Amino acid sequence: MSASRILAVARRIAQGFRRDERTLGLIFIVPIVITALLGWVIRDQKDVTVQVVIVNEAGAPGQRIVDALTRATIGAPDGIEVIAFADTRDAAADSLREGNGDIALVLPSTLLEDVSAGRRPKLTVITAGTDPAVDGAALGKLQGLMATLAGELAAASGGRAILPEIDRETLYLTTETDTLDVLAPVFLAYFAYFFVFMLTGISFLRERTGGTLERLLATPVSRAEIVVGYSLGFGFFAILQVIVLTVFVLARVDVPSIGPLPAFTIGLDVQSVGSPVIAFLLAVVLSLGSVNLGIFLSTFARTELQIIQFIPLVIIPQGLIGGIFWPVDRLPDVLAVVAHALPMTYAVDGLRAVMLRGADFGDAAVRLDFLVLTGIAALFVVLAGATIKREVA
Amino acid sequence: MTAPAPAVEAAGLHKSFGTVQAVDGIDLALAPGRIYGLLGPNGSGKTTFIRMVAGLARPTAGTARVLGTLMPNRDLLGRIGYMPQAEAIYPELSVGENLAFFARLEGKSDREPVDRVLELVGLADRRTTPAMHLSGGMRRRLSLACTLVHEPAVLLLDEPTVGVDPALRAQFWAHFRQLAAAGTTILVASHVMDEADRCDELIFIRSGRVLARGTSVEVRARAGTTDLETAFLHFSGLDTEGRPLEAPVA
Repeated sequence: MSASRILAVARRIAQGFRRDERTLGLIFIVPIVITALLGWVIRDQKDVTVQVVIVNEAGAPGQRIVDALTRATIGAPDGIEVIAFADTRDAAADSLREGNGDIALVLPSTLLEDVSAGRRPKLTVITAGTDPAVDGAALGKLQGLMATLAGELAAASGGRAILPEIDRETLYLTTETDTLDVLAPVFLAYFAYFFVFMLTGISFLRERTGGTLERLLATPVSRAEIVVGYSLGFGFFAILQVIVLTVFVLARVDVPSIGPLPAFTIGLDVQSVGSPVIAFLLAVVLSLGSVNLGIFLSTFARTELQIIQFIPLVIIPQGLIGGIFWPVDRLPDVLAVVAHALPMTYAVDGLRAVMLRGADFGDAAVRLDFLVLTGIAALFVVLAGATIKREVA
Repeated sequence: MTAPAPAVEAAGLHKSFGTVQAVDGIDLALAPGRIYGLLGPNGSGKTTFIRMVAGLARPTAGTARVLGTLMPNRDLLGRIGYMPQAEAIYPELSVGENLAFFARLEGKSDREPVDRVLELVGLADRRTTPAMHLSGGMRRRLSLACTLVHEPAVLLLDEPTVGVDPALRAQFWAHFRQLAAAGTTILVASHVMDEADRCDELIFIRSGRVLARGTSVEVRARAGTTDLETAFLHFSGLDTEGRPLEAPVA
């Protein structure tokens, strides 16, 4: 191994990018735009008022409850509004179908009877059922109404209303934690993995098809020096990308209103309690694996389009089952086994542990994640080296 | 006085790809400081032969030695300059960056060798031009410069002057002559006959075998012609109009 030859290969890659502004933009600007877009969508979603249709099948006793519920929603801060009343659930369902109302709450005809007999009355909630996320949000907002309902029911039964008080506590971060706080740290790794794979794959394919690889092999450079040089060259850009994106995700810079321009905020101000350095190291070993995966898979592509075709094959599945959106331990058994063979799974686990729980290398899980990622990177270094055909090493 | 040790030596060299015998038993010894022309029709095995000598392909049988060392051998690659048919340069790198890159791989990190070959191929004023903006002939010159940057003892040039204009070709050959005078052994695969005439010795190969070898005068005499082009056709098994000869070439 000669350090100067390795550096020559790495430098060649950096020089190639210097004149390629569009690729530089792809590396640095695109991840920020996408993460910012994600933050915007998650954080600044309009607070939709859930419109409730109340169905009273219980007659006069129910009407008292309906009135109480309606009063409770007026001026309520949690965005719930009673917009209509119906006598039958069919009428309410029709109303929802026509787009009038999001959710229907049915007070059954047996309401008074049940409450008087000390049985728990059974309420029916009707939603569209086409979007679990929307339904979940609507049901959540209905919870507030339920408390009011409980009071009214207690009154109806002549007993005393006992309203449970709910107090939330969290182990990590704060109750303000939102989806973005959980997603942003692992997006760092996912972007680095994706871009490094794509750029290395295409770059090495060009070496193979453009004749420069053959030309390299006619110099005293060794295959190991080529692979390490590539890892350094692309690793350099991956590292810069991870640093830029980490700063963007964690920072919050409030820019005051200047003249006609409104005030705005740069950075996502994502909550994190962990060491950015350890998160960074995890992202780096993940990227090293990605460089060498790109070199390895470039053997199986004849054109740049065929490199792009590997993206739905190797990048997207890792995004789906690597634990970014759904926890790996809740995956079906077969998928969980597959997930444990993917580097993204370990990177996501490690990054969440570090950024959200503040774990460090003292944590056995983080150590394991780091070791597995290093092992996968080493495996692909060897595989990448093996695809560089040469008569002498 | 004994003959100097050959710079390149092939003994019973074979290379087959499946059932195709690309190189079918070549025995050759090339003396240092001479320019050899490797002639033959397309598909005759010229490039495969050169690639084995350059250590890029392993012989199926037989041996190739360069400067006495059995090829392939990575350490010896620093003493060989190989210019492939296709320009193997990085289009997004500038002329100077391409040269500096290959120089560093050959263990030369200073500016001097780069300046020297830039001057040599007439690209000194293009140092900062990205290679993708060069004309075809300039790219060819850059490719040659990358091959010369480490002052190799053995030069293997696969059709080096394709797309190079006659004036520049004359410059190339003047330089090859200088290098040979300084002891460099040069093997040039070519189709250009006036170029072949400048070689010290010609080697005709066809179907992976050496058909004739000698100076331009000797080769023409053997083919029974005064014209090298006709000799080429003769050894390629073709008549003067490019049609296959009835009788096999002796």
